[in-house]
Amino acid sequence: MTNYGLVIDQERCIGCQTCAVTCKQENNVPMGQFWNRVLTEGGDHIDTPEGSYPEDGETGNLDMQYQPTACQHCENAPCVKVCPVNATYTRDDGIVEIDYDKCIGCRYCMAACPYNARVFNWDEPEHRPDDGTGDVAERPQGVVEKCTFCSHRVDEGLDPACVVNCPADARIFGDLDDDSSTVSEYVANYNTEQLLEEKGTDPNTYYVQGEMTPGRTWTSDDLESELDDDPSAESVSADDAAGDEPVPHVPAEAGGGDD
Amino acid sequence: MAENPDGPHERIPAWDETADAMLADVDYDADLGKRMADDAIRVANGELSEAEFHERYHEEVKAEFGRDDRPTDPENDD
Ligand code: SF4
Ligand code: SF4
Repeated sequence: MTNYGLVIDQERCIGCQTCAVTCKQENNVPMGQFWNRVLTEGGDHIDTPEGSYPEDGETGNLDMQYQPTACQHCENAPCVKVCPVNATYTRDDGIVEIDYDKCIGCRYCMAACPYNARVFNWDEPEHRPDDGTGDVAERPQGVVEKCTFCSHRVDEGLDPACVVNCPADARIFGDLDDDSSTVSEYVANYNTEQLLEEKGTDPNTYYVQGEMTPGRTWTSDDLESELDDDPSAESVSADDAAGDEPVPHVPAEAGGGDD
Repeated sequence: MAENPDGPHERIPAWDETADAMLADVDYDADLGKRMADDAIRVANGELSEAEFHERYHEEVKAEFGRDDRPTDPENDD
């Protein structure tokens, strides 16, 4: 069986919000709503770090952590269990999805999701430009919506938009049931955690902390399983990588900036 | 970790308020939604079985929605 999952390497994430923006564009997420967010932990406001600048000969200690967050595609999803009309369901490939034609807007699933991953269309959805930006049809007023792992792309053998467009290659998507996939290797070989593990929801989203992984090692839009050459053959396990620099797929050329 | 009389599932402190805001002015029974949401997490962490969860809310769900199509129905087990 296929069981899709996402690994987010928090050591690679630079908090640029590209995943949040590309998700909005790809999925026609209405104004005021986000399916995918990068939360920050630091100072008093989003994008303000805690600590101080190095001043007056002191050592600076500025610090900010990034927590990319969206639907975790839980194996044991409370949102699926509460939906009285079975509008929220788990696909055979592990993706948790909503049938917007069935959804009656009771919002029980929102209250059941420990990750606050769902949003409700209180109003008629608005887009800029008016007819939207992505390939996915807008959802009507009165339904709940959320990240789908870009199932419309996955069904065509493509990685989710956030994965392809992350400039830090911090997001890796693949089949958790395939031991040789990059996501499985990273979950097995690096220090990964699932959010709110104690809730028992068993998310298909894993976060890497500690040692940095080599990230997403292929440049194609295609899912790893669709590639002719298996990129995981080049991926590096934590043991092999110990002491080595991560190997990004971007060319190690000097940038063309004017600095 | 401190002993929790309700079992290992501890609510996130702000959950009550967040759930109230989510369910405000809902066309359906907000209290039922909150109770079911809380218990669905108990099911996830193994404190409550799917069958018990289904049974506990079956009548109320049917009365509120005129149907109960939750996948927790033991009859639907494959
Ligand atoms: S993160 Fe929330 S919405 Fe997504 S599957 Fe888990 S419980 Fe459902
Ligand atoms: S809001 Fe829609 S998806 Fe959520 S529980 Fe109600 S009917 Fe199901």
